[in-house]
This record gives sequence, C-alpha cells and structure tokens, in this order.
Amino acid sequence: MSVRTAILDRVRHAQRTAKIPAATTVGAELARPSATARPGATQQGGAALSAPPARGPERPAPRQLVERFRAELAALGVETFVESSPDDVRARVNAIVGARSVLAWDARQLPYDADRVLVGAARGSSPRDVQAAAQIGVTGCDGAIAETGSLVLLSGEGKPRTASLLPPIHLAIVSEADLRDTMDEFFRERAADIAGAACCTVVTGPSRTADIELTLTLGVHGPGQVIVIVGP
Amino acid sequence: MTPTAFVERAEGALADAQLQLALSRATGTLGSRRASAFESLENADAVRDAARAARMNAIANLSGLLERFESKLIANGAQVHWAETSEQANHIVVDIARHTRTERAVKSKSMVSEETHLNEALERAGVTPVETDLGEYIVQLSHDRPSHIIAPIIHLTRQQIGRVMEQRLNVPYTDDIRTLAATARAKLREEFLRADMGISGANFGVADTGTICLVTNEGNGRMVTTMPRVHVVLMGIEKLVASMADLDVCLKVLARSGTGQKITVYTTMVRAPRRPGETDGPDELHVVLLDNGRSRILSGDTAEILGCIRCGACLNVCPVYRNIGGHAYGDTYPGPVGAVVTPGLRGLTEWRELPHASSLCGACRDVCPVRLDIPRMLLALRAAAVADDPQPKSLALGMKAFGWIASRPALYRAMARVGRLALRSRARNGWIGALPGLAGGWTKSRDFPAPAARTFQDEWRARRKRRAS
Repeated sequence: MSVRTAILDRVRHAQRTAKIPAATTVGAELARPSATARPGATQQGGAALSAPPARGPERPAPRQLVERFRAELAALGVETFVESSPDDVRARVNAIVGARSVLAWDARQLPYDADRVLVGAARGSSPRDVQAAAQIGVTGCDGAIAETGSLVLLSGEGKPRTASLLPPIHLAIVSEADLRDTMDEFFRERAADIAGAACCTVVTGPSRTADIELTLTLGVHGPGQVIVIVGP
Repeated sequence: MTPTAFVERAEGALADAQLQLALSRATGTLGSRRASAFESLENADAVRDAARAARMNAIANLSGLLERFESKLIANGAQVHWAETSEQANHIVVDIARHTRTERAVKSKSMVSEETHLNEALERAGVTPVETDLGEYIVQLSHDRPSHIIAPIIHLTRQQIGRVMEQRLNVPYTDDIRTLAATARAKLREEFLRADMGISGANFGVADTGTICLVTNEGNGRMVTTMPRVHVVLMGIEKLVASMADLDVCLKVLARSGTGQKITVYTTMVRAPRRPGETDGPDELHVVLLDNGRSRILSGDTAEILGCIRCGACLNVCPVYRNIGGHAYGDTYPGPVGAVVTPGLRGLTEWRELPHASSLCGACRDVCPVRLDIPRMLLALRAAAVADDPQPKSLALGMKAFGWIASRPALYRAMARVGRLALRSRARNGWIGALPGLAGGWTKSRDFPAPAARTFQDEWRARRKRRAS
C-alpha cells in the first residue's frame, strides 16, 4: 500500500469517529453579509464553490472607496497620490522616480502609458543582479482593497514579481476602477484571473519586522517604502 | 522528555530574571495589540465563528479535501508527495534537492520543518539551509531554539542579538535594532539571489483551487517563492480550508490574533510553477503533505486541535507560558496549543506532564480566533494519561480514603477540625512556611494560607441561630 493510500485511509477512518464539536454556520453568514450564503458550509467541505455568485450589497461610491483606501494606506505609512488624468499620473511617476534606477513591469502592463517616463528601466528579462540593484520598482496593480489598504498583484508575462520585491522602494500605480471594498469581493469577482496566475500576491504596506524586542523595523526583505498613485 | 526535565526547564526559566522581564513585556504587548485589533473588527464574534466553521468543516471532511487539493495541485503543474513520518518527509526533500542539484536552500518560517528537524537532514546531505525570517535566522546563527510561535526570539535582548551577529557574521557589535535588521537584510539578500531551492511551510492550503497560502511581514515568504528555481512546500495534512472564501475569513482572524494587524503585510498565494513567459517564480513546485501523528490526533478526543491556525494568541494570555516561556515545553509547539499538540504528535506516555502545564483558567479558549476548547482537551489528555498508566497505589488508596471520609459528614467535620487546629498552630501572620511529609511539596516554592478560625459551616450555623433567636 502506498504512503498516500495509507494516510488517506487512516484519515477517512478517523474522521468517521472524530469528535469534532459542531461548527456553527450562523456566524459565517453574519460575518459576510456581502458574500454568498453558504448552503454547503456544514456539508462536505467546499460545497461553497458551487454556490451561485451573489449580488453584492450597494457598492460604496468610488470617491468614498478612494478615501477609505487612502486612509488605510496612511495608517500603514504609505504615501498616496490621487491623480485625475493620465498626464498627471505620468508627471507624478516622473517626479517620484527622479534620477533613481528603475525596475519596472513591461510597457504594455503599466497603466496610463506610464512607461513613457521610465526610459532605460530594467525589466524582468534583465539580469538578476541588475534587477537587484534597482533603486525603485514601478508596477501596475491587478486590484486594490480599500478595507485593508492592500495591493493585489497577479503574476504573469511582463509583470515580474521582483519589481515589487527587490528594490527598497515600491511605486504602485492603481486604477480607480480596480479598487474594491473587501478582499472577499475581489476573490469572487476575479476568481478566474486569480486561477490563471501562478502566484497572487497581496501587499499591505512596507516590509516590516518586530522580531527584535518587538520593536517595529521597516524594510527587512521587501521594500521599506511603498508609494501609491491612484489614477482615474 | 521526562517529567523531571519539564520541571527542571520550568524552574530554570522561573529563575531567569531577564527571561521573566522579556516574557512579561512581549506577551503583554502582543496581547494588547490583539485586543485592539479585534475592537476595530465589525462583527468580530461572527467572524470568529466563521473562521471556526471553516476550520472545523475542513477537519471533518479532511480526506475528501486532501484528494481535491492534490488533484488541483497536479492539474496546476505541481508535484505532490506524501509522508507518514518526519524521516520520510526529510528524505523526500533531500531527494528533491539531489535531483535539482541544490546546494543552498533558503527557508521561510516553517514550524513543520522544525517538527521534522529538516535542517539537520539537509546538512547531512550536503545542502546548506538558511533560515530567512529575521528571528529564525538569529535562532539558526546562535544554535538556539524558537520560543514563541510568531516571535521566535522574544527571549533574547538586542544586546545578545548584537553579540551573536558580531561573532557569527564578523560585523562590528551594535545593539541598534535598525542596524541589526539592515545587516540581516544584506546577508540574506545574497542568499536569496544565489539559492537553488526555496523551502516554505503553508499557513493554509485551499482545496478547491490547489492554492498554497503563505503570510509574512518581512517578505521572505515572497523571496523563497520568487527567486529560487525550485520551491518545496512542507505542510501538515491538517492545514486545508475548502474555498477561497474560507481562506479570506481565516486570514481576517490570523493577523489580528497574531500581531494585531488587519492583515499580514504579504499574503502570497501560490498556485503553480512559473508560467511560460514569466521571468521569475520556480520552475518546479513540490508539495510535501505530512501526517506524522495528525491522523492519530483526528481519531481521538483532541481532534479539534487540528483546527489551530498557529497565531500564538493563546501563548500571550497563558499564565503558565508567561512565566516559563516556550523552551520549557520541550518541543516545537509551545504554550497551551503545544500542551495539546505535542502529546498528540509525539505520544502521550513520554509527554504526559505537558497537559498539566496549565491552570485550566480558560484564557486560551477565550482568546482563540477559532474558539478551540483547549482546557477540555487538556483534561481529556490528563484522563487518558491516567487510564494508560495508573497512578501509584498509594495515590489511589489515598483518594479512596478521602472519598470514604468525605461521604460521612460527621467524620469529615471532626477530621477537618483536627486538621484546622493543627495547621493554625503552625501559622505565622496567617501563612504557613513549611508543611510536613507529602504536603511539604506545596510549601517548597510557596507559602500555604492558614485556615480561618471558624469554618464556613460554623459561621452558617451561628448566623441561623442568631436569626432564629
């Protein structure tokens, strides 16, 4: 008998007699008024998958969402710029990047033609040591979550994961249209896109640690500074 | 570990003044951060119920979820391995290292790899493992052991850490925390850039989608899943949730309970090896699913503990952990959760003392984000230990005699009177410093309160008499 079969048999046998205090589902529905009711929650695990997609509650007005997003980012120590035109976005990118060496997503993956102001930037295809030496990483975003001030990055062609990871500063360009209130909302709406990506990364503020005497220290392995531009 | 070893460790910890200070500071800070994080959560109780439901449903349907998880992973291009024991798991990882010609492996924090002693196995096979969580890195440099689930080096001061780095990394001594962190960043950056393999645990596995979810604040979880050409995930079979919706609700309580954040800085959801056209991410993704006693736990009275999400909140509120710290528990998992998990994974006979390392105050149950009833499980383990290995005859006889006396009220009262008078004669200022015989065990480390002059029953009778007259 293979190890796999042996383990699965034991688990199957054990769960028939397992004394697991009943799990309540009342909470699940209360906790997620915006989510699908989960009729399958107490049955075979994963029945939630087959639940029909829900109509969410009224979505907050875009302006409110941006304000909430900005407030959460501020609490995380992230500077946010809200711009009203593609020109303004590019001007802002240019001003922030300045003379720094750049590691960026490919031109076609950056919104607002931001690539036009990133002449000479390193890309995912550049040698690793060149990427690692970049002083600022510039990326777009596949989504953003107002509730937590999070940026969602789906891996894919022309969107190197290193750009949001290796440089000491990460500049992320978010389109207002990609802003959602909650993670749950994003997971449901973009399930297919998430499934299509090898890796989905949610970034919430700068890299930090409190391992030494519980003292907050920024920029351990990831960027110690995150800057967000929200475009129209 | 023998019982004496536990007692010795606990006594050593109690006598360590610096550890005592560090523990009270750290657990106090983490505890209050957690409390304020939950205050800001709307429907906190309902969210915790939902998280509990997600975990309990997963445990109750584990075999089906494991099969679905495996088939999704394979469909996504990952390779799945199963291991019964620590040795098997380590062997599998070493084997992958050989096939992929791995010389150096970078690791993000994985408690399961500590459980299996993976680092030693890799070193024996000629592979250099490098811990990359700042705390775990310092643990590795100083040949120490982690003492807290989410804050591995709360037992060390910045000065001690400064000396470790000075000696092991050949850098000037400093106790400036930012400089220490910057030194670690620079050293570990070199490791990330040249490592062949990344090894991680998994905070959760999502059965519906075959997703491995990792959370880190430092970004090392992203590094080990992005930079090396091979990624190996070593995870316990119990870490599954059914769906992405269940994952979402578990993430909501994990960071709040652990560090008081709304969400951890980096949530990495890995589903597949690098796709065509991508310039980073691993070429090979391996997932090792480890049993190592978990299916045995599932069949017993402590199955519920498999729902633990390793947030560490129960450590911070436990009066025992707050006094003895993590090392005294003797194995990978400390605190109240460890007192249940360790006997389950390693065997109750050898670890029978651990379920007694609790006052059963219930603080762990109150604070647990998935509402695990840890005191109930500790009692179940105590009962099982007694049933497996009966107590000494003298103890059984003593309990029998006590039962016989206690069920005869007149005799009980007479004996209690004698005992009370005898105790009061030894008291000074209301406290007894030393008791004779077996009872001396109590007064070895603390005083015993002298009994009141009058018993409750005496007082009660006197009051009734006064009322009646």
